[in-house]
Amino acid sequence: MSGWHFRLRQAPSLRVDLRGITPAAFAELSLAQVEQLRVGHGNAMLPLAELFDVAKGTEEGTLRFEGDLGRFDRIGWQMDGGHIRVEGDAGHYAGGCMRGGELQIDGSAGLLAACEMAGGTIDVKGDVGDFAASTLPGSMDGMRGGTLVIHGNAGERFGDRMRRGSALVHGDAGAFLGSRMVAGTIAVGGKAGAHAGYGMRRGSIVFAGPGAAPPAGIETALTFVPNRTATPVFWALLSRDLARHGGPFAALPSRRIERHLGDLSADGKGELIMCL
Amino acid sequence: MTAPSTLLRNGVVIDETFAEAFPMKATRILITAHNMAWARHAAVSATGFATSVIACGCEAGIEREIAPEESPDGRPGVSVLMFSMSGKELAKQLERRVGQCVLTCPTTAVFAGLPRSAPGSDVAALGKNLRFFGDGWQISKVIDGLRYWRVPVMDGEFVAQEDTPVVKAVGGGNLLLLARDTDAALAAAEAAVAAMKRQPNVVMPFPGGVVRSGSKVGSRYANLNASTNDAFCPSLVGLVAHSELAGGACAQEIGCVMEIVIDGLTEADVGAAMRVGMEAAIAIGPAGGLLRISAGNYGGKLGPFHFHLHKLLGAAGGAP
Repeated sequence: MSGWHFRLRQAPSLRVDLRGITPAAFAELSLAQVEQLRVGHGNAMLPLAELFDVAKGTEEGTLRFEGDLGRFDRIGWQMDGGHIRVEGDAGHYAGGCMRGGELQIDGSAGLLAACEMAGGTIDVKGDVGDFAASTLPGSMDGMRGGTLVIHGNAGERFGDRMRRGSALVHGDAGAFLGSRMVAGTIAVGGKAGAHAGYGMRRGSIVFAGPGAAPPAGIETALTFVPNRTATPVFWALLSRDLARHGGPFAALPSRRIERHLGDLSADGKGELIMCL
Repeated sequence: MTAPSTLLRNGVVIDETFAEAFPMKATRILITAHNMAWARHAAVSATGFATSVIACGCEAGIEREIAPEESPDGRPGVSVLMFSMSGKELAKQLERRVGQCVLTCPTTAVFAGLPRSAPGSDVAALGKNLRFFGDGWQISKVIDGLRYWRVPVMDGEFVAQEDTPVVKAVGGGNLLLLARDTDAALAAAEAAVAAMKRQPNVVMPFPGGVVRSGSKVGSRYANLNASTNDAFCPSLVGLVAHSELAGGACAQEIGCVMEIVIDGLTEADVGAAMRVGMEAAIAIGPAGGLLRISAGNYGGKLGPFHFHLHKLLGAAGGAP
């Protein structure tokens, strides 16, 4: 499997659907075959060569996209191995339903990034829009495995219906963080909007910012209860794992925590962890 | 059972014989706690009554103490090795012992102590079934690809890794220390056990690492599958048809025999432990009352692992 380099010719007039463009799909293809692979452009199908200058890459198993791909959706869709690097922004559904491999986005991603992700790693240097790590509309389970790291900020309903895996936001997160969460771990380095953990059944949401205050409304919310019980073993395991990602998470193993348990209107086994 | 002794080390006769060991299944668990005292309490309880698979279901022992820096949760802990004749029996014993002795012990947590197994290889449940003690309040947590169970208990929560790898292992390595009297036999055995405890991947499951009731296979009583090793009982010299203590050099001086049984994760681990144990005992020598070192075997019928004493000591055999 060799690598490929795609340099964007110019921004397309309509949105482009890049589903199917994964390292595995390129394993045995020649340059001519790659150039003729067709992707959706609005209602039509276009060969890749009309959108990109295609060349052999230097990194084995890596698809490298150069340019602003803000109008390119479903980058890394259902990817199950290899490496995709986007040297710019990505559109909606980036890393959606991904099962393995690594997706690196040097810019920001649109809506529904990592939705229903089941494995692998996604690293976004910029921001992500609403519904990252959540469900596809109408689906029951959101992110269900793997690791998602956002170095910027996240939009609203981050981790909606999340079931498994780890999702980290170095910056701020919008309202309804971890809403209807079933399990898994969310960690936020900055501030979170209102209604964090709304309807969560299980799972952990860690607020790692300096002197992290409980999210708005938690102190008075009837559906979360403060808990003073020491959980040193769990916290040692989790904090060491989160600390690997640096930034606001680096010092977590040495910080004290306070927990609020809930949402009692759901299953009550979730926890909001404030790092003091 | 043994050929005439031909090797002499520091005045101690080393029999030209071998210890016969057999395959077992093993796992290592790490028990951590708020401090070393409570980790030790849990480990001692979990390895209690685990001397011999003849009647205990498993053989287990404390391998070593673990500093906070090397434990999974940054707390002090104890490494425990557990051996059994089958993976199924090992899983049963593990669940009972961890459930009754670790889950119950204040502040403890339990982790797998062997590297993650390859897909399809054996694992035994650790927290997987114990979680039900949580009566529905237990929570699963996957961290760095490993699943842990958090079971609410009265001092907070008991954390247990989901399962632990099970590997093939070697049980029944042994040394017989033949000494002038009880004091000398105990001194030699204690020195040998102390040296062997510094070896990784092995445990000596009997009390203090030493067993005085060495056994042979079978009995004149139909309901017993093992009975006293009469060939090495000083009290039976002249009474039994064959005694290992009846002839040869220094035979008349031997008044007490102690055995050390060694279980290890690999054949090399058991061999290395036997070698350092022998060297520690040999250093005591006849001046300290140790006269001879032998080993237990059943003519090669018990198991495929044969630890020849002369080879372990680096002697080709034959030269004193």
